[in-house]
Amino acid sequence: MLNGLNVEGTTPLHRMSVRMKLAILLVCGLALYTVSSLFILIPAFAIAALVYFTTGLAFREAVSRLKPILFTILILLIATAYFTSLREAAESFFRLMAIVLFAGAVTATTATGDFIDEITRLLQPLDRLGLVRAADVGLAFGLVLRFVPDIFNHYQSIREAHRARGLKVRPLTILSPLIILTLKDADTIAMAIDARGFRRPREKHH
Amino acid sequence: MTTRDLVLVALFTAIIVVLGLIPPVTLGFIPVPITAQSMGVMLAGCIIGARRGALAYVLFVLLVAIGLPVLSGGRGGLAIIQGATGGFILGWIPATFVTGLIAERLVKDGQSEARQFAGFFIASVVGGIAVLYAIGMPWVSAVTGTPLTAVATGSLAFIPGDLVKSVIATLAARAVLAGYPLLPQRA
Repeated sequence: MLNGLNVEGTTPLHRMSVRMKLAILLVCGLALYTVSSLFILIPAFAIAALVYFTTGLAFREAVSRLKPILFTILILLIATAYFTSLREAAESFFRLMAIVLFAGAVTATTATGDFIDEITRLLQPLDRLGLVRAADVGLAFGLVLRFVPDIFNHYQSIREAHRARGLKVRPLTILSPLIILTLKDADTIAMAIDARGFRRPREKHH
Repeated sequence: MTTRDLVLVALFTAIIVVLGLIPPVTLGFIPVPITAQSMGVMLAGCIIGARRGALAYVLFVLLVAIGLPVLSGGRGGLAIIQGATGGFILGWIPATFVTGLIAERLVKDGQSEARQFAGFFIASVVGGIAVLYAIGMPWVSAVTGTPLTAVATGSLAFIPGDLVKSVIATLAARAVLAGYPLLPQRA
């Protein structure tokens, strides 16, 4: 039900570490906001497009992912062109699209598991300070992925129950049974986690 | 944070994901279709409170960022956060926190039903609409160069739908409070 948006491959971007990719994305993103020359922004856009379309993502899939983002950007930039100038709108377009394409390339070349490992590693310093438990992140991700199909089944049975009684399926009559049905399992799940000792207490717990 | 709180956070994140799979409803008098997922901020704040609600959204935004198609319509990935409306996605976290904070202050056990409805409605409008737009709109303006007044005018089209969502979230949150109260036990 929830497959990542990444594709397998051996491109340089696939082999690069997650931290490196995120650092490059951050630096490029910030750097592009300091430039307003089209002589830099258009080549940056071209490079980002080249990187994005060579990640191994099927061309149609690659285009269909961009569509909703491109749509919003175009509407906003038509407004920008109208209120300010065409040049400014063009600068914003190439800058935003360069960042979006590069971000899309990072998503396409990074497995979700690698992201979770990297987040856990990045949280280690905070873990040592006792602010968060880095291991909880992986546990929480696991719980979400484990329970989405179950909750979707809850939704389907509530919908069937509506239909069996000839009721219209409305958000209002769906939401409260869905939420209560899901959250009332929290105690049992928490007990099961504690019984298995997944979250060992800290040595010096405050 | 107890294991129960962690589980509640994760389950609520999973609920938000499922809300994105429910087909959107169109109401006759509103131009924009209503997606169940966009009520998540109000629901999370009003039902599991400020801290747990905001954490549920931290987890949800991370799911988007790591490239899971959890947004309604099967969207996801870093590109959406980097796009023009990324501020609305990151803004979900503070918006949920504020919604929860207000709901925790205004809604108490043993109050009249009307006061509880009023409390949840105020929390949903302030957190889920005011705070969210206060973050989302300047972001749009900053990344696209569109003047803020133009962005604000365009956003007006979404306000009627957002008010309907606040009403639905209020009714749902009050029903959950009556059936399985979680808000009073603050995390």
